[in-house]
Amino acid sequence: MRIFLVEDTHDVGEAICRRFQQAGHTVDWETDGQAASDILSFTEYDLVVLDVMLPGRDGFSILKKMRQSGSGVPVLILTARSEIDDRVGALDLGADDYLVKPFDFRELEARARVLLRRRAGGEATNLITCGDVVLDLSNRSVTVGRREVQLKRREMALLEILASRPGKVFSKEELLDRLFGFDEEVGENAVELYVGRLRKKLEGATARIVTQRGIGYQLVADGA
Amino acid sequence: MAHKGSLFSRLMWRMALLLGLGAAALITAAWFYARTAADEAYDRLLLGAAFQMSENLTVQDGVIKFDLPASAFELLGLADSDRIFYRVVTPDGKTLTGYNDLDTGVDLTAHQSQPVIGNSTYRGVDLRHVTVSRVLTQKSGVVWAHVIVAQTLESRRALAAELTTRATILVAIMCLLALAGSAIAVRYSLHPVDRLGRVLARREPQDLTPLDLDVPRELTPFVDSINRFITRLSERMTLMQRYIADSAHQIRTPLTALNAQVSLIDDEKLAPADRRHMERVRRRASELSRFTNQLLNHAMVIHRFDSVQLAPVKLNDVARKAFRAAVPMTVDPDLVVSFEASPEELMVTGDELSLREAIVNIIDNALRHGAKGRLDVKVGRDGDNGFVEVSDDGPGIPPEEWGNVVKRFYSSRSEDQVSGLGFAIAAEVALALNGRIGFREKTEERPFAIHIALPLIEGGQA
Repeated sequence: MRIFLVEDTHDVGEAICRRFQQAGHTVDWETDGQAASDILSFTEYDLVVLDVMLPGRDGFSILKKMRQSGSGVPVLILTARSEIDDRVGALDLGADDYLVKPFDFRELEARARVLLRRRAGGEATNLITCGDVVLDLSNRSVTVGRREVQLKRREMALLEILASRPGKVFSKEELLDRLFGFDEEVGENAVELYVGRLRKKLEGATARIVTQRGIGYQLVADGA
Repeated sequence: MAHKGSLFSRLMWRMALLLGLGAAALITAAWFYARTAADEAYDRLLLGAAFQMSENLTVQDGVIKFDLPASAFELLGLADSDRIFYRVVTPDGKTLTGYNDLDTGVDLTAHQSQPVIGNSTYRGVDLRHVTVSRVLTQKSGVVWAHVIVAQTLESRRALAAELTTRATILVAIMCLLALAGSAIAVRYSLHPVDRLGRVLARREPQDLTPLDLDVPRELTPFVDSINRFITRLSERMTLMQRYIADSAHQIRTPLTALNAQVSLIDDEKLAPADRRHMERVRRRASELSRFTNQLLNHAMVIHRFDSVQLAPVKLNDVARKAFRAAVPMTVDPDLVVSFEASPEELMVTGDELSLREAIVNIIDNALRHGAKGRLDVKVGRDGDNGFVEVSDDGPGIPPEEWGNVVKRFYSSRSEDQVSGLGFAIAAEVALALNGRIGFREKTEERPFAIHIALPLIEGGQA
């Protein structure tokens, strides 16, 4: 994936570049706001990581120009200003996410991953329901009754697979393939780990993950 | 502040005092006048009687004779409560008839061309007396006889008292009318002061625009200096916010760079001892980051309440935003984190950003120091209050610490786990919004919980 980083603090820019490169992305790094804005007008990226305080042109103005020209590229704003109004302002201007400096680099990676995935997967707008468990695929949220439960990416994927056909038993191998693909090296018990976590997070729901010993797992709604 | 009574009462007291003094002077004058008038009236009767009596002095055959005229007594009888004394004195000084010890101190040997009127005491009684001379012709020539008539003072005193009373009533009525009139006038004149007070009282504390109000000349210096003060405060606050924003940027940038550089160090290539030191640097750097955020947000939140107008806020929305902001994506995957909105829309008066910051801090604290396997955020309603409750399955905070953890920089734990400003921010925001922060003790059935409760806007629903 191609990531465009606009950050004028050298130490910070260097680290972000290295991190994303280590994750296998291509990173273009620009320190001047005006130059960055010019580059964005003719180059397409999968994600833009934008600092607010920049020489030449500030991050908000770059973002505004991008959105005005109809660009839908996900933008993650980095801000060092104190007013939290900035964060709201950023979202109003069309930023997809923001982080306040100083931030945790793992958090930056995690958020970038979400934005890149959203970019790659497109936006679905359907709900999957089983018992009182509702999976909203458009904003990747899960509710159990009235409680919104936060799920990790893999847990979400697992629930999506199980809930797509409630009652059907999915074998461990099938789940392993669909969750991790063929190229990832994961142990046999990775599925058990995610099933365990998902079970815990669905506690109190009127749908349960049932283990069919030796066969696999199924999602069953109570009373169904 | 010491109150020196109201301007109105001060003016009215002085007015009343002045009117009282005036009334006293008037009543005294009226009393003198009444006495004089009463004396004049009764003196005429007395004089009339004395003249009638002196008319009845005759000389027959060289002997002075006196007939007591009934009309004289009828005249004096008009003052029916008074007693009458008289004495007729012959030219040789003998008493012809009447009380011979009635003495007025008038020289009875000389001729009095004018009747002499005066006061005296006779047998222990106060009297008003008149002495009239009468010329008699005797063989020996022209001689003078005297008639003395005296009267007690009851009637004239009664008349004087009555006149004085009437005058007093009039003066009193006049005074009351004047006082009532003054009260109305003073009230009317003080109206601009009242209006200024009301305008000041109605002002939101965050409103830093100058007063725009027409006031009488006497009040202009006050309004001017209030406006000067407001302007100065506003400038000072802008400056302060600028300062916080600038220093935030100045501190955050190198801190981010520090974190960035530390994150680039490859632990694998370090010696075991260095790795340990590196881990400590990392932990301290992240602690410093967190604390800096708290410090700057605290300063920002406190200043916001000086300058931001409060507005209706949807509690569900704020809590959800705070939940999303506070729970990082990199949170421990074994932790069950959930959010439950209230089924009804709860509206509270507040400042969305500060309130969000308060809730973020409570959740953040629970994530760091509390939750082991579960953290639940719930929005609900409790009577007239809306609340956001954060519960976790950790050990909680013992009741004896509840009052302390909301203080700034308080920590009962080791130096590694300074709770910093998190709860202080939450508590100060709650206080500024007329709400409160509360704790619920951990029991067998229920986990430890912290909530922030705020009064709902009338009706409670949007």
